Amino acid sequence: MAPSRLRVDWPSCHGRGLCHELLPELISLDEWGFPIVTGEVPPALGPAARRAVAGCPRLALRLVES
Amino acid sequence: MSFSVAEGPRLLAHLDEGPGLDRHRLANAAPGVVPLERLASAAEAADLRGRGGAGFPFAVKLRTAARRGAVVVVNLSEGEPASHKDEALAMLRPHLILDGAALAARALGTRRVHLVLPGDRPHVSERIHEAVAERRTGERLQWRTHVADEGFVSGQARAVIELMSGRANRPVTAWAPEAVSGFHGRPTLLSNAETYAQLCSIWSQGPDPATMLVTRHSETGATTVLEVELGAPWSAVLSPDELRRPVLVGGYHGVWVPAGALADRRVAAEDLAELGARLGAGVVMPLPAGVCPVDRTARIVSYLAAQSAGRCGPCRNGLPALAHAVDQVRRGIDNGERVQELCGLVSGRGACAHPDGTARLVRSLLRWFGDELHLHQRQECGHGALAPTG
Repeated sequence: MAPSRLRVDWPSCHGRGLCHELLPELISLDEWGFPIVTGEVPPALGPAARRAVAGCPRLALRLVES
Repeated sequence: MSFSVAEGPRLLAHLDEGPGLDRHRLANAAPGVVPLERLASAAEAADLRGRGGAGFPFAVKLRTAARRGAVVVVNLSEGEPASHKDEALAMLRPHLILDGAALAARALGTRRVHLVLPGDRPHVSERIHEAVAERRTGERLQWRTHVADEGFVSGQARAVIELMSGRANRPVTAWAPEAVSGFHGRPTLLSNAETYAQLCSIWSQGPDPATMLVTRHSETGATTVLEVELGAPWSAVLSPDELRRPVLVGGYHGVWVPAGALADRRVAAEDLAELGARLGAGVVMPLPAGVCPVDRTARIVSYLAAQSAGRCGPCRNGLPALAHAVDQVRRGIDNGERVQELCGLVSGRGACAHPDGTARLVRSLLRWFGDELHLHQRQECGHGALAPTG
């Protein structure tokens, strides 16, 4: 499988912070509560990344091929 | 018009002949059969790059859009208020722009051409409508016009496609390039007005000399649109006195280059890259004598923060914070680290490049004006720009 990374749909994101709760390994929050996504998703974190994508109440997080 | 236009070698040649179609046709044959690969090769041989600011190779865009259902979009909205080159072209050479779009439409086998006009420059809309009316006979193209909102981000590619789609004229996230999936998911060839004019000129007259349009804001306050040969010395654009000053290259999303840096360089992407600068949409603003670069930057950042569409959290929160931090620097507070941190927090975190462009400008202030910043910290700005409010 091609390496993947997380992308935020910024206009949709309201900074609820659930993605950080679900995937603290790859997502931290800035001082205003918006996600800071780091790097590619390692294979071991694939399932957790998919849960974070599914868990966003604004559907503002996506896994894309990098 | 609030600016003057200097005669140039190609796009701005023979300005005395007026903007009419008959005169235009003396030097430019009506677009007939245009094989896609011939047009793409001509653009490639001339190294034609987008003139809206991003500088993406036009031939790549054209070939990518060459699929069923393609549409052509001409972006005349010129969201950067300091830029007047597309306005000048539209007023003086509208058929160069329209012919370029017609060539692209022929090559892509589409009849649909969308023209996105600047809402804050109604004379441009008027002139383009007149020019389209002149062309009606026999061309079999469907020209549709749209009027963009005022404001810096309204001209951004995805904002333009939103406008065409009947939604708010604001940037949204691009999941694919416009040439892959743009207007209604169709392959969309979206380029700036000058890019199409250059395409027409290259097609009719060949690639040499390669030129670009520049909007120059002289320190006397005069604004001039001029056509410069790529590779010319900067003395073709700026006076000897202006060459000795810091210059803001690329407009409000551009960068400062230090005093004297352009004097021995050429108007060329490679030369500017050495300074971390790009030609962008061609806005060149030398810092007037007696004006403080810190104060000037603080004012621009404050303007840019106000121009945020407010849709993306990092931009909505980060740009006002950045404007505040830069203003603190102006007042002599030593918080360069906070400014750097905020530049990092806004970069790459929005639907469009507005926050990135703003951060780029601020970083160039920190990069080149260390001495000036130290003076501010010692409350010694030579330009008297330390007062609490600008």
